[in-house]
Amino acid sequence: MSAGSQPADGTGLEWRRVHPVTALVRGWTVFAALAVVVAQQSSDDLLAGRGLGVPAHFGTILLGLAAVAVLGLGWSAVSWRCTTYAIDDDSVHLRTGVLFRQQRKARLDRLQAVDVVQPLVARLVGLAELRLEVAGGGDSAIRLGLLRVGETDALRNELLARAAGVRAARAAAAVPAVPPAAAVPGVPPAAAAPERPLLEVSPGRLIWSLVRSGAFVLFVLGALALAAVTAGTRQTVLLVSLLPAMLGILGYAFSRFSREFGFRSAISPDGIRLRHGLLESRAQTIPPGRVQAVRLTQPLLWRDRDWWRVEVNVAGYGRGGQDGESSSVLLPVGSREDAVRTVWLVLPDLGTPDPVDLLDEALAGSGAGPHGRFTVSPRAARWLDPWAWSRDGFAVTGRALLLRGGRLVRRLVLVPHERTQSVGLEQGPLQRRLGLASVLVHSTPGPVAPQVPHLRAADAAALVDAQAARAREARAHDVPERWMAPGPRPTPEDPT
Amino acid sequence: MSTPPSSPARGPFDPPGVEWRGVSPRLVAARLLVVSLWALVPFAAGIVLAVAVTPWCWVLAAAALVGVCWAGWLVPRQVRATGYAERADDLLIRRGIMFRSLVVVPYGRLQYVDVEAGPVAARFRIAQVQLHTASPATDAAVPGLAPDDAARLRDRLAARGEARLAGL
Repeated sequence: MSAGSQPADGTGLEWRRVHPVTALVRGWTVFAALAVVVAQQSSDDLLAGRGLGVPAHFGTILLGLAAVAVLGLGWSAVSWRCTTYAIDDDSVHLRTGVLFRQQRKARLDRLQAVDVVQPLVARLVGLAELRLEVAGGGDSAIRLGLLRVGETDALRNELLARAAGVRAARAAAAVPAVPPAAAVPGVPPAAAAPERPLLEVSPGRLIWSLVRSGAFVLFVLGALALAAVTAGTRQTVLLVSLLPAMLGILGYAFSRFSREFGFRSAISPDGIRLRHGLLESRAQTIPPGRVQAVRLTQPLLWRDRDWWRVEVNVAGYGRGGQDGESSSVLLPVGSREDAVRTVWLVLPDLGTPDPVDLLDEALAGSGAGPHGRFTVSPRAARWLDPWAWSRDGFAVTGRALLLRGGRLVRRLVLVPHERTQSVGLEQGPLQRRLGLASVLVHSTPGPVAPQVPHLRAADAAALVDAQAARAREARAHDVPERWMAPGPRPTPEDPT
Repeated sequence: MSTPPSSPARGPFDPPGVEWRGVSPRLVAARLLVVSLWALVPFAAGIVLAVAVTPWCWVLAAAALVGVCWAGWLVPRQVRATGYAERADDLLIRRGIMFRSLVVVPYGRLQYVDVEAGPVAARFRIAQVQLHTASPATDAAVPGLAPDDAARLRDRLAARGEARLAGL
């Protein structure tokens, strides 16, 4: 039972196993879930006044638990034996499955993101999982793990270096920066790309941002109303029936706090680096050119502090549940300056001489602006969108499309021209009467759905036509998929 | 067979210099058949219940009949309004009368192209070409093409997509 390599097979690939403790850690969650269920059952019995029942059931329950644990562990061990991975110059291979064998191969030049994820239990024993996101939709990620922490880091650096196309250049590099837990035997380990820290979110600010969120305000109002009703009627029925919902809101707030705790972002030649998580920690790397769209939002209660939240669409992260939700955040909360710097992470060159000025206007302004850079909805749109019609609008720079909207919750979406998938134009019967139309820019799955509602019909048609042309032009000059291949891209200057 | 769709007043859905191609009128018959089959269930149920239980159930049967008549008025116009155009670098698809939409799909963004024909469509010798990009929001389909036309369109799109494909 060692994590050593298996003899190479006919394909010339060297197949390796993940850490043997994986079986224990993976099996443990099932066991824990079962134990919780059993505990709940017996506590129900206890509450029902049936006594502990220790002499009658305890032995049987223990025996059952032990049997399930042994079976689960056995199964995990077998599936561990059947899980092997290998990497070569162009791709990562993963073999899994006991009865239904599956071999998955992901091309490195299609890599969308590389995450090192440490669930709580794995963290306690110093292991981590490496997740390679490719844009396959659904559950297309390759999960290598668990591995020792040093190993995951070395492997991540190696994969990123290969994906970037710097392998040849590295042969000359002398000093190995990683410990001898080299990811690939026989090849000098890739050094971690040098990174520069950019932002850090303090726990205090994170807590304040959650207290000022809609969910928490709802919770407080609900709690007050509930307290008033309970005190007034002296009946606890409502209290008992609404308690789960109230706890649910708190649970949501806590899970967000736990996911975004200790958030740090950094920039490196390998792209954007993010680290966060209280219980489950996550270190993400998003290579250059992989962000499909960016959204900045400001809920109403954040306005006096001028705080913003930045989220992105990355193909591969998708919309999928909590994982996708926690991976798609580029900045959980930050000042406007922080938000602008985060946008710079994605779009180092906004394609305009005064990016900060333009972003200020896009974030807080309304109407066409002093330079007439924004095309906004006409007055007729106030019938359909009485609040935000003068903010709904778009601006175009040399590199991206800026879509502004929202009066109470301010919103700004940026789509790099080369990341436009397709463009749509829509018009309902009311819009037609008022001479309006909406424009949709289709992006990969994720939290951001770029659109501008209720533009003047002629403006909308012109935007659709011009955007298709701009996207075509921008793609011709896109960053190559192997982002380091022709020679290092100059790291742009920090705007601040 | 492929008549140009009736062109309403020049508007945002009629970009200059675009030659629209219509879809097969057989699509009208196919869609009406599907609608009629669906309407048959409440229609029959309404009659049976009206005779057996209460005369109020005639309302259900009448509603189903009205629905079919409305579809008979709407569907031909919808089909006439559906069209597509192949430009040098992208495909345009437009449709709808009340809720109109136009989608521009660059060939280079196409991930794959499907040709679909259900049992009803196959009976009427029509097929649908469905375009897929990396975005699930791209709702681009050309319905009601003759199977040969559909296959040819798919091949043309695939060839052009390959020539211009650029990652994501």
